[in-house]
Amino acid sequence: MKGRTAAILAAGAVLALLAVLPAFVMPYHVRVGQLFLLSAGLALAWHILGGFAGYWSFGHTAFVGIGAFTAGLLHVHLKLPPMLGFAAGTLLGGCVSAAFAAVIAYPVLRLRGIYFAIALLGVSQVLGELSQNVDAFQGALGLNLPDIVPDAIRPEVFFYYCFLALAAGIFAFSAWLRGSRLGYGLAAIREDEDTARMLGVPTERFKVLTFVLSAALTGTIGAVYAYSLGYFTSGSVFRVDFSLNMILHALLGGIGTLAGPVIGAALLVFVTNVLLGRLLDVHLLVTGVLVVGLVLLAPSGLLGVLRDWRARWRRNERP
Amino acid sequence: MTLVLQTLLDGLVLGGVFSLAAAGFSLIFGVMNVVNLTHGIFVLIGAYLAWSAQHFLGVDPLLAIPGVMAVLFAAGYAYQRTIIQSAVDRSSLLASLLVTFGVALVLRNLLVLAFGPDFKSITPSYAFTNLKLGALTLDIVRISALAASLGLIALLAFVLYRTDWGRVIRATAQQDFAAGLCGVNVRHVYGLTFGVASAFAGAAGAVIGIVLPFAPPDEGHWTMKAFAVVVLGGVGSPAGALLGGLLLGLINTFTAQFIGPAFPNAMMFLVLVLMLLVRPHGLLGSAFGGSR
Repeated sequence: MKGRTAAILAAGAVLALLAVLPAFVMPYHVRVGQLFLLSAGLALAWHILGGFAGYWSFGHTAFVGIGAFTAGLLHVHLKLPPMLGFAAGTLLGGCVSAAFAAVIAYPVLRLRGIYFAIALLGVSQVLGELSQNVDAFQGALGLNLPDIVPDAIRPEVFFYYCFLALAAGIFAFSAWLRGSRLGYGLAAIREDEDTARMLGVPTERFKVLTFVLSAALTGTIGAVYAYSLGYFTSGSVFRVDFSLNMILHALLGGIGTLAGPVIGAALLVFVTNVLLGRLLDVHLLVTGVLVVGLVLLAPSGLLGVLRDWRARWRRNERP
Repeated sequence: MTLVLQTLLDGLVLGGVFSLAAAGFSLIFGVMNVVNLTHGIFVLIGAYLAWSAQHFLGVDPLLAIPGVMAVLFAAGYAYQRTIIQSAVDRSSLLASLLVTFGVALVLRNLLVLAFGPDFKSITPSYAFTNLKLGALTLDIVRISALAASLGLIALLAFVLYRTDWGRVIRATAQQDFAAGLCGVNVRHVYGLTFGVASAFAGAAGAVIGIVLPFAPPDEGHWTMKAFAVVVLGGVGSPAGALLGGLLLGLINTFTAQFIGPAFPNAMMFLVLVLMLLVRPHGLLGSAFGGSR
């Protein structure tokens, strides 16, 4: 119980720190922070499926795209007042994503491992191309969204807080989920799906539910992301690097841990945008080296390494 | 009618190249259960080597293939023994995905630094000659590309099924532990497999170079194509790669011709997803580890 209180306090402290940060740093760094919170939110949403259930999706950007296009098309067709449109778009973006996930859940969740990963990669690719080539979606032309930022706030600060709220919400949701009945069921599925099923875990239902939840959260972020861009095309929301970064951030921090995706996102965004910001030519190269080094030296992520150290330290303490 | 036949022909030529490009990927996936995301890079390195051979030495790209294969065999062997082995030891799919993704990122950027980001293409001396067969046009380049692809796949099948190397590779694929008990040096075989697969990727690159333009960012595209071919045809066997590749080539050209030039990729993934649902082992799913 003591550990849990400490963890909640730590999370609260980090949240408070992130909440006051924009007041003290340069606009560029607020933008980096915004990117970090976006990445953290996406990684957390991905991690609900990939980390807890062990189903690695390689095409989660599909849901970012669905969320964004839902918000965009809603605006184009209904022309609601900006703030109302933003709220409705965000909400509906999550819902449409969830509905789509529910439709494809039955077939794709029959696949496991690499085949599931690639099936979703395929889904995202198909959606991306359809959104670009079917005129009704206007993906090639691009969609414009109204400016919703109140005059009193700088836009980067406004979206910083939007993404902060999303990331914090998803984090809290993950924390709750992990300790729930569903969470334990997912852990069982991750470790051994057939055994879990044999022991009476309703694997099918749990998997579908998790998939839909993860898609809904990703879609919500996608809708907000679309508003933060203001103008977007297919290419700016159906992005392979979104899919990859979600995985990478979760893995870097530590798969299966709560804070892992956040820590991974923080580290990678910091390294690529601040440390290597001036070296545009080599920054992907260095990212690659980092990834390889990570897998070779710390395969269970940073939190995993920390856990191993602590275990060793404890062993040494006791004679 | 002529249009259908011409599309069929183009599809087969493209499919032959796809098959060859996927054969090595399929081998690695089948034997080591490693999804090698660097595969596309090896294909491109082959293409760049062939381009350099023609550009600097004036060697015909198809004649440069043995040299390209030798270089990439050595590179693949070394790469497996130094970096990939750690992923194999952990026998974790995800470790292998990430390591190879990281290496692909590094190599792609090195290629950009070395050759620049622009598209390159190899133009052999016979580039503009073509044959007329009734109403169909066959240019020599495409015919020789198809012939080279089929010949090289036959060579790979020969290596796998008729030589000692092939025998130990197949034994290791079936059960590495048992193979080890029989005196096979499993690590060496893994290195060998990777070397052979990389060599064929390089050869595919040289062939691709004369048919299509190429640039460093293409590598992901080639890796994905290889994966699609493997899913369609089945893991681990050259025959599976051949069948999957030809099918993919046909899907590509027919979609582009009759549905719209923007849709081949969407169609490819649609077929891929359907295939995964109906027959996840691929059309010729084999007894190799990866297909189970």
